[in-house]
Amino acid sequence: MGIGRGEQIGTAVAPGRVHQTMDPIVDQIARQRSRKQVRFRLTVFGTWIVLIGVLIGGLWLGGKINLDFLRQWQAYILGGVPLTLVISASSIFFACILAIFGALGRLSSNAVVYGVASFYVSLVRGTPLIVQILFIYLALPQIWQGFAGIPAITLGIFALSFNYGAYMTEIFRAGIQAIPRGQIDAAHAIGMTDRLTMRRVVLPQAIRIVTPAIGNEFIAMVKDSALVSIISVQELLWRAQTVGASKFRTLETLLLAALVYWVLTIAFSLLQDRLEKRMAESDRRI
Amino acid sequence: MDAVAWRRGRLSLVLLAVAAIAIGACTSGGGTTTSEAPASEAPMSEAPMSEAPMSEAPASEAPASPIAGGLLDKVMTAGKIIMSTDPQYPPQSELTAEGNYEGFDIDVGTEIAKRLGVEIAFETPSWDVITAGSWGGRWDFSVGSMTITSPRQEVLDFSDPYYYTPAQMAARTDSGITTLDGLAGKVICVGAATTYLDWLNGSLDFGTESPQTTPPEGATATTLDTDRLCAEAWRAGRTDFDGWLSSSTTVQAAIDDGLPVVAVGDPVFFEPLAVAFDKSGPDPSDMVTRVNAILAEMHADGTLKTMSEKWFGLDLTEKQG
Repeated sequence: MGIGRGEQIGTAVAPGRVHQTMDPIVDQIARQRSRKQVRFRLTVFGTWIVLIGVLIGGLWLGGKINLDFLRQWQAYILGGVPLTLVISASSIFFACILAIFGALGRLSSNAVVYGVASFYVSLVRGTPLIVQILFIYLALPQIWQGFAGIPAITLGIFALSFNYGAYMTEIFRAGIQAIPRGQIDAAHAIGMTDRLTMRRVVLPQAIRIVTPAIGNEFIAMVKDSALVSIISVQELLWRAQTVGASKFRTLETLLLAALVYWVLTIAFSLLQDRLEKRMAESDRRI
Repeated sequence: MDAVAWRRGRLSLVLLAVAAIAIGACTSGGGTTTSEAPASEAPMSEAPMSEAPMSEAPASEAPASPIAGGLLDKVMTAGKIIMSTDPQYPPQSELTAEGNYEGFDIDVGTEIAKRLGVEIAFETPSWDVITAGSWGGRWDFSVGSMTITSPRQEVLDFSDPYYYTPAQMAARTDSGITTLDGLAGKVICVGAATTYLDWLNGSLDFGTESPQTTPPEGATATTLDTDRLCAEAWRAGRTDFDGWLSSSTTVQAAIDDGLPVVAVGDPVFFEPLAVAFDKSGPDPSDMVTRVNAILAEMHADGTLKTMSEKWFGLDLTEKQG
């Protein structure tokens, strides 16, 4: 009996199983703690509900919001959401490609390649995104006429990818550098070339490391995609602003746009949390 | 066994992410076309282009031979003309809940395209981008109630005026201002890159003539993106400006909408509004001649007058003031 218990304690490394084998007092404390935690979460949730209710209810009761107007226009304004998501998703996709090349360039021992990569990162990070968007839309066609034939949405995606690619270059570089030097040495020791080491050992692990970060960037991108409304891409904000300005109802339309961005951000953050936990789980099992 | 399981899980997760991104990228092409589709379809439903052959416009004979590579040539070859419009400007141009465009300028532009015998499509760049010229072929013409001014003539070619709007000064209701002189030394809000701003700065010049009126003594200008935001700023309770100068139709729309706005004094000037073309693009001279002929026709047969009465409730197509 005693031996059996001793054995159990010795093997009980999984944290979830510990308190089952402990004394009732320990058990009770653990339960109390979890109850406290649940109460805390419920209170936080309740506070949110109250705050949202006060905000929206207050505006509505104060007669500030014209709900009929919103009802009439919500379909058109919300029609911009798919475009917002398409712009964000494709911009992140192209930004990832740019970032991989950027990161490899930043880690290159070739001075010219390193120079090009660091120039790109410095240029983009040193100028505001809104300037980049306006420059691509308004200024580039004056340098090369053919640029004007490209639809504004493509230019918008290009500007966002170009910008995010530079920021994500640093993320990818950190991901690649996070792979312990020893693994690379080991790969070399068993006869792998540099290229093969990168492909088989470094990149697969690096991609896993940076995936949660890409999720973060995507969430930021959903919000930054609103900036392309200034080059008349008819996404969520453009629709909200155009309808609002022409009908003297910017309160309603901007409020709706803000709510939609917020809901999108919350939804993607929840996905992001799950993704991050999933990644962390595999780390723990290693 | 665990290891294999998580490896698979991880792989499928990465694959899923890649697939999701790839799908996003693929649909972006489709998204572009569908987002523009309603714009180009809007006027079609109102005035089917296919039933508008060139023979319907007998008075506007095409010039003997359009300059090869000119704007008219380009538009006729494409069978489509792209018009820039600012849908923040009712009743000239605004959105419908279905995402189409409607308004006086939309009707005029659609009618011009119909008499040219081509289809019409719309682009919605911001106003200052239109007046700045260098359109780079993104759109072919502007039917946007643009005033003919000397500086604009340096980058744009204008048709004859198709109507005239009075410029109306307005004040915030609770400012107590009731006369034009009451705005002396006050701040007046106008839309960015508008003739109203030029007038306040004393630089408004229609090319052939200049308005005879002068701004209130010592008044200064502040700008917002578009005229209507000035009135909305008042409703929001802002008091950093007391005057607002815009077209009388816009001021009237704000008053009708219950905004705290009063019209002050008589119109300060009447502006000639015209169709504009980009000088830096394909040579627009043929197109200007052709559009002038079409506008003369629309004046003569009462089309313009009918449209004006429909959208403004009065006839603004004759020169006043």
